[in-house]
Amino acid sequence: MIHIFLLLWLAWQTVSPEALHHLQAGIESDKQRHYDAAIAEFKKLTELEPTLTAGFINLGAAYMEKQDYASATPPLTRAVELSPDQAEAHQLLGYALLAQGYAGEAIPHLQRAHEEGALGVAQIETGQLQDAVVNLQAALAKRPNDPDLLYYLGRASGLLSKQSIDMLQAAYPDSARAHQAMAENYFVLRQMPQAEKEFHAALQLRPDTPHLHLELGLVYAGASQWEKAEEEFRAEAKLQPGSAEAAYRLGNTLLQEGKVREARAELQRADGLKPEMPETLYALAKAASLEGDWSAAEKGWVKVIGLEKASDLAAQAHFALANLYRKQGKTAEAEREMQEFQKLQNTATNAEGSNK
Amino acid sequence: MLKNLLYVVMFSALAAPLFEVKLPRGIDFTLRNSPTSQKYLIETMPGGVALLDYNNDGLLDIFLVNGGQLSDPMKTPENFERHDPRYWNRLYRQNRDGSFTDVTEEAGLAKAGDGNYGMGVAVGDYDNDGYPDLYVTSYGKNILYHNNGNGSFTDVTAKAGVGGGGWSVSAGFFDYDNDGKLDLFVTRYMEWDTKHSKSCGGEWHTYCPPEEFPATTNILYRNRGDGTFEDVSQRSGIASKKGRALGVAFADCDDDGFTDIYVANDGMQQFLFHNNGDGTFTERALEMGSGLSPDGRRLSGMGVVFQDYDNDGRPDVIVTELPREIYGLYHNDGNGSFSYRSLETGLGVLSSGSSGWGVGLEDFDNDGWKDLFVAQGHVLDNVEKIDSSLHYWELPTTAINHNGRFERTDSGSPSAAAGRGAAFGDLNNDGWQDAVMTVLGGPPQIFLNRGGKQHWLVISLRGTRSNRDGLGARVRVNGQTRFATTAGSYLSASDKRLHFGLGAAETAKVEIAWPSGTRQILNDVHADQFLEVREPEKP
Repeated sequence: MIHIFLLLWLAWQTVSPEALHHLQAGIESDKQRHYDAAIAEFKKLTELEPTLTAGFINLGAAYMEKQDYASATPPLTRAVELSPDQAEAHQLLGYALLAQGYAGEAIPHLQRAHEEGALGVAQIETGQLQDAVVNLQAALAKRPNDPDLLYYLGRASGLLSKQSIDMLQAAYPDSARAHQAMAENYFVLRQMPQAEKEFHAALQLRPDTPHLHLELGLVYAGASQWEKAEEEFRAEAKLQPGSAEAAYRLGNTLLQEGKVREARAELQRADGLKPEMPETLYALAKAASLEGDWSAAEKGWVKVIGLEKASDLAAQAHFALANLYRKQGKTAEAEREMQEFQKLQNTATNAEGSNK
Repeated sequence: MLKNLLYVVMFSALAAPLFEVKLPRGIDFTLRNSPTSQKYLIETMPGGVALLDYNNDGLLDIFLVNGGQLSDPMKTPENFERHDPRYWNRLYRQNRDGSFTDVTEEAGLAKAGDGNYGMGVAVGDYDNDGYPDLYVTSYGKNILYHNNGNGSFTDVTAKAGVGGGGWSVSAGFFDYDNDGKLDLFVTRYMEWDTKHSKSCGGEWHTYCPPEEFPATTNILYRNRGDGTFEDVSQRSGIASKKGRALGVAFADCDDDGFTDIYVANDGMQQFLFHNNGDGTFTERALEMGSGLSPDGRRLSGMGVVFQDYDNDGRPDVIVTELPREIYGLYHNDGNGSFSYRSLETGLGVLSSGSSGWGVGLEDFDNDGWKDLFVAQGHVLDNVEKIDSSLHYWELPTTAINHNGRFERTDSGSPSAAAGRGAAFGDLNNDGWQDAVMTVLGGPPQIFLNRGGKQHWLVISLRGTRSNRDGLGARVRVNGQTRFATTAGSYLSASDKRLHFGLGAAETAKVEIAWPSGTRQILNDVHADQFLEVREPEKP
């Protein structure tokens, strides 16, 4: 694209036929990925036309194709000197500097080029995390689902979060929030005894903090300590009666404990607070099935399949339905559901296989 | 309110453990699994235990299977040094005073072949001579020891044709064709050998999960009745399904008069081989609702018991598994269908953090409801480094059955251990069921029931038209049902006698459905006795 632009630009300028020849030869070599030949041609062009910005840009671009960023930097710097408003020159120079780790030097060039993605990356390196998040979000809006941008946005957000937490822990090391942050960190690292200890410390200081009981409950649920998990989820549900997650977690824990009637009531409450949540609907149907309310169970699992289509939860719902129909003597329906279950399982197995 | 609270506190303080755990004089066995840095899978899988009265003196004896020596790494050909007495299987004869004597050598059970790393044991009188025979499984070759009736055994594997091969795990004798001769089922784990072992785990080097290795088939041997067996795995349909089998248990799940087979598979669907009654089996676990978790997830099935936990007369299944999976309890609904009832029965809470192996449903408190015993300990010997909430050494789970719901009780085990095999029987003939659990790298734990005041009845079956020990019979006593078997659990064989707790009842009604089809009823049988019931010669 740069070359097309330069050809047009060149049309407005007067260059010697010899220079024009080197330019064309360089572009041709570049197209054929003969970068060394292209570099030689562009070098001759810059010798013949030392004030021709296009020559330096093309030379720098050819070096960059070879990932020789150090060699690309001088001609691109010269291009910027010759044409300070030339965005492409700033863009390439910004990339070349960033690739060599000179993030601070790259930033003004990337700003001039409005290259938000690379700018965000450079800002991560220089610790300008808030600006990085803003720029990466803007870049993502233009190129949604770009894996590199998603990665860097996650990294920037994570570092920003860490920065805040570090500040919190430095300034208020004995606060409930500091303990909570530590606990969450341990939880992510699966260091559960430490996470449990920190959550308790936080709760001792501020027992009415939302989410603390929920998070501690998750620690216990992860270790299958259901009685303790129930206690914590119950405390969270009491503290936040409007929290669908607290109600769901409590309901699911009660289900694990075999307290089916209580579980069903709590799951119904979760469903009321946040309808159409597949996990809640699945657990609710399971509770209904355990209570012998097969009609409600069937309705629930069918709804899960409608919402989830081909997920793992949908596969589970197909299997549960197959068992339900089998018990009811509905052989054809049971077989149909079992086939759907097996189909989804095979898909999942194949996906696993292709990921290995 | 205060009174109730005080009662709870006092009851908790006074509640004695179910068992006294001790190592009786004379038992000096150590289960040598020889862990290596290679993490060979076999290291974490042994070993079995059998409770049998090999000399018919009325006292249960104990047979323990040993692992073997592993070099680090193993060389070819594989040699497990089983000639070395430290790696022998051991037979301990019980003496009148409750002590035991090691009779391994005089019984002809020393050594077990240098190429065999020991796994499990099955017990059955395959030649109906009145003396229980032993079948020992291995990674390598299995061995059938014929009981000569004079205190010694003879290795008859070659003649009998039951050497197996590959990696055999649990085994059990049963009469699948009701011809009065005990047949033999052998589970095999996977296609694996030390040469093709793999390294798994990230930061921590661990034993590989079963999915890393190809599945394999189980073996069914039909007893010809002349001291030889025929491998009918293909013809019977057993070999049509490949699995990663560990435990096996038998019962007639649909009351059609033919014994069915439940196989606990590791990391996959479980198998229920339905006996078609014509010498063939059809695997029907999925369609009968006993193959996966209720969410359709695969199970890490290890041990299995196939007995009636809720006194409805139908055999139910309990499969022990890894943590986070919950031991599977499949209730037999009686219409060719099972329902998953782990949550309602309390197994969810009891088991979700544990790794279960050997398992038994036995009425430990003689109240008429079968209680639960599970030998436990994680597969990975470094699991705490990976997940601090899991443990390589665990206490066994003992749970009392209250009208079909299990509640944890103190087993009395003094220390956590890597439990594996478990067998059940009345070691001291006091009418209260005892248990023996094998422990990796250590001596077995022997759980002697502290007893109580409830009544009991222990029945020995003496088949005439059926196999001599009546294995496969369904025995109903005062509303409870047991399926006569020595198999089940993991790698192990239990007392062939059938134990019933009678609660306050001083008499019992005994109803026996023999494998031959004969029905027999005994009324007003006195409690608290060991009763031998002979099958009528004519139906």
